[in-house]
Parts: sequence; C-alpha cells; structure tokens
Amino acid sequence: MTNQRYKDLPNFKRNKTPTKKIVEQIIYIIVGTVLSLIFLFPILYMLATSTKSESAFVSSAGTIAMFLPDFANLGDAVKNYANVFTEFGIWRYAINSFIYAGIVIVLNVIINGLAGYVMAKLSFPGKKFLSFMIIFLIVVPVETSIIPLYSIVIIMLGLKKTMTVLGVILPAAISIFNIFLFMQFFSNIPKEYEEAARMDGANTMQVFFKVILPLSKPIVATVAVFCFIGVWNDYLWPSMILPTPSAGQWPLLPIQSVVSSIGSMSELTTSERMAALVVTSVPIFVIYVLAQKYIVQGFGNAGLKM
Amino acid sequence: MKVNTLTISTLIIAAVFIVIFALFAVLDISTSKKRKERYRTGATVTSYLMLLPAVLLAFMFVLLPILYSLGYAFTDYYLLEPQNISFVGFDNFKEVFEEIGQGGTLYHALINTLIFVVGVVPLQIGLALLLALFVNKPLKGSKIFKVCFFAPVVISLSVTSMLWRDILSGSETGLLNAFLGLFGAEAHDWLRDPATAMPCIIVLSAWQGCGYQMLIFLSGLTNIRKELYEAAALDGAGAWTQFKLVTWPGLRSTFVYILITVFIGACRISTQPMLLTGYQDHTVTLSYYMYQTGYRDRWVGLSSAVALLMTIVIGTITLIQRRLFREKD
Repeated sequence: MTNQRYKDLPNFKRNKTPTKKIVEQIIYIIVGTVLSLIFLFPILYMLATSTKSESAFVSSAGTIAMFLPDFANLGDAVKNYANVFTEFGIWRYAINSFIYAGIVIVLNVIINGLAGYVMAKLSFPGKKFLSFMIIFLIVVPVETSIIPLYSIVIIMLGLKKTMTVLGVILPAAISIFNIFLFMQFFSNIPKEYEEAARMDGANTMQVFFKVILPLSKPIVATVAVFCFIGVWNDYLWPSMILPTPSAGQWPLLPIQSVVSSIGSMSELTTSERMAALVVTSVPIFVIYVLAQKYIVQGFGNAGLKM
Repeated sequence: MKVNTLTISTLIIAAVFIVIFALFAVLDISTSKKRKERYRTGATVTSYLMLLPAVLLAFMFVLLPILYSLGYAFTDYYLLEPQNISFVGFDNFKEVFEEIGQGGTLYHALINTLIFVVGVVPLQIGLALLLALFVNKPLKGSKIFKVCFFAPVVISLSVTSMLWRDILSGSETGLLNAFLGLFGAEAHDWLRDPATAMPCIIVLSAWQGCGYQMLIFLSGLTNIRKELYEAAALDGAGAWTQFKLVTWPGLRSTFVYILITVFIGACRISTQPMLLTGYQDHTVTLSYYMYQTGYRDRWVGLSSAVALLMTIVIGTITLIQRRLFREKD
C-alpha cells in the first residue's frame, strides 16, 4: 500500500514546471533580501556612519546616503578608526577580551563536557538528585544573584586588584545550561564507540577526550561560539568587579565595558562611536560565520527537550 | 568579622548539600537491586572525580549566590555595612507589596515587565518560526539569509542598544524620524514618550533575539522526516494542512523548549531599558529595579525580596507551561 504511494512520488515532483520554479526562486530572493535588510539596517547604518566626517553624517541624515559609506573622503574613515585605536587604546581591551574568551572556552568545554558525559553515560549513586539540580538551576533566574556573587568573589575569595581577573573567568567557566546541552548530545552517541575503545584498554578519561569529544564537534563548536559571544559581550559583571584602569598600567577591563561607556562620552563624534562599535562587532561576526554550519547540527543532534 | 560569617555559612550550606546528596545516593544504592542497576566502586569514583570541577564551580558561583540572594530577602542587608546585617522577617516583603500598592517605581516595574513579556514572547517566537520556515526552503540564497537573520544576535546588546538609541532619538536627525519625515510626519521622541517606549523596546528585543530561536526551530525542522511531507502532499494536503499536521506536531518539543527559555529570558529583561532610557518609570523593569536597588542604592535586602518573589512566580509559570505543552508520552 505505502510502496504503491511512494511510486507516485516522481510524478508529484514533476508537477512543478521549470518556469514556476524560476518564479518561485525569484520571489524567494526578493522577499529574503527585504527581510535581510530589516535585520541588517542598523549594521549598515553603523558601517556607513563610521566612514563619515561629522558634517557628512549630519548632511546625510534623512536620505538614503545614511546607509551608504562615504567613499569620496576615505581620509575621514581612516581618521575615525585611527582615533578609536590611538586615543582610546581600544586594542588593549580587545586583547583582554580575546584572552578571557580563550581561557573560558577551554575551561567551559572541559568542565561542563566532563560533567555532561558522566550524567549522560555513566551510572553512579546520586545521579537523580544531580539531574534534578540541573533542571532546577536552569529554571531559576540568575541575574537576581549578581549581588551575592559579588560578595562571594570579592569578600570570600578575597580577590583583589589583578586577581579579580579570576572573578571574571571562573564564574564564566561553569554553565549549567551547557552541561544540559552536552548531556543531551552525548546521550545520542551510540554505546558501541565507547565499548570499542574500552576493549582497546582506554580508561574513562581517554574515552572522553579521544572518542567522545572528536565525535562531538557540532556541540563543542556551538558551546565555544556562545561562550565567546557571552564573554565578548558581557560588560556589567566585569565592570562591577574589575578595577578601573589607572594611567600607565595595562587595563584589565574587557572591550564591552569600555564600549558601553563610550556611548555617554560627549567628546566623541557619532562617527567615531560607530567606528568603535564596528571594531567590537567584527571578531564576533567572523567567528559566528566560521562556525555557523555546526551550530544548527549542534542543536539538532542534542534534541533539546525540557 | 564579615569574612567569618560568610565562610561559616558557606561551610554549613556545603555540609547540608553533601548530606542531602548522600541521602539520595544511599536511596539510589538501596533501590539499585530492584532497578537492576549495578554500581561499581571504580566507575563511581571516576564519575565523582569527573563531576568534581563542575560541582565545585556550580556550588560556588551558581547555587550559593541563589541561596544567599534568597536568604538576604529576610534581612536588612545594606551593601556598605555588611557587619550590621540582621534578620527582619517579612519586613522587606511588606515593603514590596506596599510599594506596589502605592503605585511606586516597583509598581511600574511590574507592569512594564508584564507588558514586555506579553508582547515579546509571541512576537519573538512567531518571527523565529516564520524565519525558520523561510530559511528551510530548499532554494538558492537560504544560507546567506540565515546568516543575515542571525546577525543581530551576535552583536552585543550594548552595541544594538546604542544603535537603536540613534535610530529612535527624538531629534529630527534620528533615523526613524528622518524616515517618517519623508512622509511629512513630525519628529517624535520615541523613547521618552511613555506610550511608545515599551513597544519600541519590545520590537527591538524581538528583532535582536529571534535569530537564535530561528536556529533552534531550524534544527527541529531538519529532524522532521521528508517522507511525512511527501505522504501528506500525496493525500492532497495543502501548505497549511501540511504545516498543521506534519510541521507543528514535529516541532512540539522544540516549541516547548523555546517557549520556556524565551519566557524566562523575557522576565529577566534589564539591559535594553538600562541602555536606552535609563532609570525611568515608564520603562523600568523588575530586573532593572533589582539591579538599581541592590547594587546602585545598595539595599540588598529589598532587592533580594523582589528576586525571591520573582523566582517563585517564574518557576511556577514555567512548571505550568511544561505541564500544559509537554508531549504526552
């Protein structure tokens, strides 16, 4: 019966004539382009404005030129970006952010990955209690606890001055949600892989690092990208605990803590502010585009279920 | 002094946590024969060792802050005088309800948060689903569109908020005003006008966030088997019927997951009003209020009371959502 039905399939597909398909494709591109512009226009505006002098920016207001870069006066663009780099030394904060993000990604993948692996694959007494805790901690809102977190990091761990960097890294290294993601992803990996490795005499740690992690590129990429976005975009917590930069010393603040205060600096022109925003947005965008093919896979194979 | 109280209370909480864990572990062992599950000592020790870093960090930086935050709700903790902390029972909660009753800032925070949640949850999820269906079409260009729709997600909230502040600015050079000016409309101060401020924040939040849910919907869509669509098409089902009978049931667990996460995220909104308008009655939200009272004004007790109430409300609604929408299996 069903076989009979599937035999009809080619016919059903042939129903669409080539012209219909081409029309469909053209409409698709037009609608998609309009939608894309809706999602990209602030970004286009940011890019365009960052290339203009203040007077060019004001005169372009209200016209389509707002979204078009000012190629006629490339000098202005260079000036804006140069000011952002030299006067505010934004590159130093960018380096800080890269270092924080790098350390956090490695710690996050190993720590939460190990926990997710144990929760998904091994059996031990007390597992039910821990699974319950994971769901409970995902549901409870976390922002509410930023003040006690502050007391714990500053008073209890006694972190002062440069050591507060640990206060940026350690809380970011744990993510209950990532444990949950890893757990769901690992539980879909067939047992046979592990069993084969164990026959060859691998211990649990070796199984995790040599078998499970290499099979889990999509989820590792997903976690890494969102870790990077999280660390790169976080500004509230670092501004709370890190010392304000003093002259002549390497600052500890990450890039967003500085950029979020740039908005209220009156000595900056709109164009310079936009140049600063472009500089902070580029790395994150590059990393997303590089990893994006894994991200859908990562979510898909994890089979998210609450 | 303060170091001691904090450390001692932490040790007590840790001890309680270990005792509870041990109780559950013993329970697991005693019922293991019935469940035909065998625990081996070696495997158990390895499991515990591998869990140790995550458990330690989660205890320190996730569980402990939550417990403290709940505990502070019953004290008059003032951030600058941690040594003068004392137990005040339900006084903070009384103050919370009084402030709501008198129509104070907290009342506005509550109303604004409700408006935001009711507005943004359907808008963001609806947009995300439409975009996912659009990008899922096997036509040329879909990959590029996917990247475009996701672009606002990766750009930091502080950056987009700053961009939107320019777009919605009250001056005539503000992007939206300049655009509407082409049609002869007068300049409007979108973020200062109480009638337009929250809707603007809702739209920009949905715009910024929906790309993320789009990806999750998309991963749900790729898990639906193609044969189901083909079978439905053969039975003469149109696009809408196919969506209703194949796509939607196939997306159900994804939808519940998205509903719960978007709902929780929406309840916790604080950054957008913080960066767009500052501390104003017409845009303040509960999370923003907590940040302002607890960190800026340093009244941790009061702030924690709000946090505790909010946690209970969000937790309850989340559980109800799970019950209502979960697959019956």
